[in-house]
Amino acid sequence: MKKTILFFLIFANFAYGYSYDDLLLKAQASIFPKILLLDKKIGDKLIEGRVIYTIVYEKNDYNTALEINKFIDANYNGHFNGYAYKINLVEFSNLSSSTQASVIYALNSDKDMKKVADFAREKGIIAFSYDVKNLKTGLLFSLVLEKSTVLYMNKENLYIQKINFVDSLLQMVKFIDKDNS
Amino acid sequence: MYIKNKIINSLSTKIVISIGVVSLLITLIIFSVSRKITKEAFYNVELEKADLIVRTIEPLIALNIYLDMPDNIAQLSQQLMENPYILSVKVLDENNKTINNTKSKEYQKGIEESFVVEKIVNQPNSTKKIGTLVLVYSNKGYIELVSKYINLTFLLLFALVVLFILFGLYVKKLLSPLVKIAKSLKYYSPEKEMDIPFLSQNNEIGLISNALNGMQQKISEYSKKQKNINNYLEEKVNEKTLELREQLYIDTLTGLPNRYSMFNDILETSDGALLIINIDDFKEINDFFGHIAGDSILKKFSNRLKNMFKENQYIRLKRLSGDEFALLFVQKPSLEGFIKIAEKLINDIEKMIFLYKKNEISIRVTIGGAYQIDRALEKADIALKSAKRERKSFLLYDEKLNIEEQYKDNMEWVKKLKKAIEQDMIVPYFQPVFDNKSDKIASYECLIRLVESDGNVVSPYLFLTIAKKSRLYSELTKIMIEKSCQHFEHIDYDFSVNLSVEDMLNKDMVEHIKQKIKEHNVANKIIFEILESEGIENYEEVSLFISEMKKLGCRIAIDDFGSGYSNFEHLLKLDIDYIKIDGTLIKNLDKDANAQVVVETIVDFAQRLNILTVAEFVHNEAVFMKVKELNVSRSQGFFLGMPEENTEK
Repeated sequence: MKKTILFFLIFANFAYGYSYDDLLLKAQASIFPKILLLDKKIGDKLIEGRVIYTIVYEKNDYNTALEINKFIDANYNGHFNGYAYKINLVEFSNLSSSTQASVIYALNSDKDMKKVADFAREKGIIAFSYDVKNLKTGLLFSLVLEKSTVLYMNKENLYIQKINFVDSLLQMVKFIDKDNS
Repeated sequence: MYIKNKIINSLSTKIVISIGVVSLLITLIIFSVSRKITKEAFYNVELEKADLIVRTIEPLIALNIYLDMPDNIAQLSQQLMENPYILSVKVLDENNKTINNTKSKEYQKGIEESFVVEKIVNQPNSTKKIGTLVLVYSNKGYIELVSKYINLTFLLLFALVVLFILFGLYVKKLLSPLVKIAKSLKYYSPEKEMDIPFLSQNNEIGLISNALNGMQQKISEYSKKQKNINNYLEEKVNEKTLELREQLYIDTLTGLPNRYSMFNDILETSDGALLIINIDDFKEINDFFGHIAGDSILKKFSNRLKNMFKENQYIRLKRLSGDEFALLFVQKPSLEGFIKIAEKLINDIEKMIFLYKKNEISIRVTIGGAYQIDRALEKADIALKSAKRERKSFLLYDEKLNIEEQYKDNMEWVKKLKKAIEQDMIVPYFQPVFDNKSDKIASYECLIRLVESDGNVVSPYLFLTIAKKSRLYSELTKIMIEKSCQHFEHIDYDFSVNLSVEDMLNKDMVEHIKQKIKEHNVANKIIFEILESEGIENYEEVSLFISEMKKLGCRIAIDDFGSGYSNFEHLLKLDIDYIKIDGTLIKNLDKDANAQVVVETIVDFAQRLNILTVAEFVHNEAVFMKVKELNVSRSQGFFLGMPEENTEK
């Protein structure tokens, strides 16, 4: 019943912001925290001993971001497999170098996606994108539900020195670059 | 069978078979070991393959489990199934709940000997278990590998067998010269030089051939030398054989054919006769003039005999021994002629005079003749001995004399005596000797008897003479001494034992007598009876014995006194105790006046010397009365007491 109400609210928000696939959002909300733990250097990215999972959104997508926040909390209950985490909801406009983030997840935005990519590159952190197209902008990871769940990865950002994924992840992702999708 | 053995005995075959067997064994061992190792290796390789697949896909499976992507797991499993060797892939979650289980068609057929690899799936970038991956890998590859390996091994074995056959043929070819050399050596003879093959070969065969060739030359040289030596030896042996043959049949002193020659001639003679000529007392010639003189006379005598019969081709002169010659008649003359020849020969020889260092020596001969060729030597010899005994110059063997039977009888008695001694059949019998004054037994004479197994008692007259000839006499005396001393040890009577001069001269016998006298303590009871005639002939020796016995306390009697030419002078010196008057004087004493005179004289003589007299052969009362009348001290005879097995106690 709770889930039905949540979905209704999310759908209600769509009328005022971007349109999001709820299933995809949930899939991403459940898988991305796991993927960030596949980074062998996750320990370097902890802030005050915690994983800061920063979700950036357009002002209109606040509720979506909040719902994702709640979904993650509901699923992970404060810990990503042993690591304490904190979800940090930040508007695209407020994103700056002082923003704390161990990982960043970007919802849709027409103009600030480049800013997120730069932020992630600068901090050396993983940048997840709701929309796979944003990977061309410079974000690292996205997830698409096709016949099965498919992970996409921006090949250009693969060699960011501060990120080192387990090899098997690289075997199962599909790579995209600026030239193809 | 012979060929089969030959093949087996062939050195090359043995070498090849040995190497083949050893190699085969080594190959089999290597094959068995390598098969085990290779099979294990193949197994491990296949297992490693399966393990590698599992280790390869495990991170992906782990990631998919981690990211909760079962579709991807199924997809991955399907991709794996494209490998024909993978029979199934099973993925379980951390609670062993199946996430995916993909199986191939082959899996259904059975997986008994397949490889099953199970791996714990950990969360990526963590050690936390999130599932299990089970992979079943087909053993098809393993079986194929093993099969290939076995095929290759059999191929290798086959190649080895072929190689060994070739090797065997090669070894046989290498050693074949040895067989050829052996065949050529088979007919080798030192007389014939042989061409030894392979002399020019520059290898071991060549060395053997050259060595054999050298050996052949040395053997040939040695054989020639040996042949020369053998020829020389053969000549020498022939010479020696002739010499020995001559020595065997020819007497070296006289040059006459000898005894062996005569044996041969007798065998070759169908009907003939024989004379044996013995030179009388030839020993005296030797002793007096020396052996050289004796030999000289023998030579001259033989020459004269040769001359006497040189013209008669039927008479052959032989020398049998030192002083014995023979005339063998190879054709039988008339009996008269034969006897005449013998008698003429005796006369002619008696007339012969032999000169030696100015000494004139004449000889006499005794001749024994046999008018039969059958056992001629024996018969002539018997005739010769008879002639000597009868003191005749010539005697012809007469079948009627039965001399042969006597000889046989004597030999039988010798056997019987030996058996009697062995089986303790010789015993003393005791005849009492009475004192003529008291008519009581004064002593006993121990008389020898042979008691046969059936109890028959044999008189000593039958065997004592033969015993003397066969030298058993001393044995009998010893037995008599031993048993008599033993018998009288605890009986209070004197006893007398007869001794021959031969016994008294025998040191061993004297020791035996002394020992037995002491052993049974009978020195003061025993009386030794010595034959008068023998005692006189060997006076010195008998005197010595008597004095020795007297010292011990024994007494001496002269037996058969009056039978010979009694020498009173000697008797005086001998210190005797008794005179036993000869039985021939006693047995007719009651009627024979002459005998009475002689006995009277003897008794008188004895009484003067304080010697006791004993009359033997007292066989009736008249004689006994006469003996008493003539004052003979003691009497002995069948009238008074027969010899008995036992005595009065």
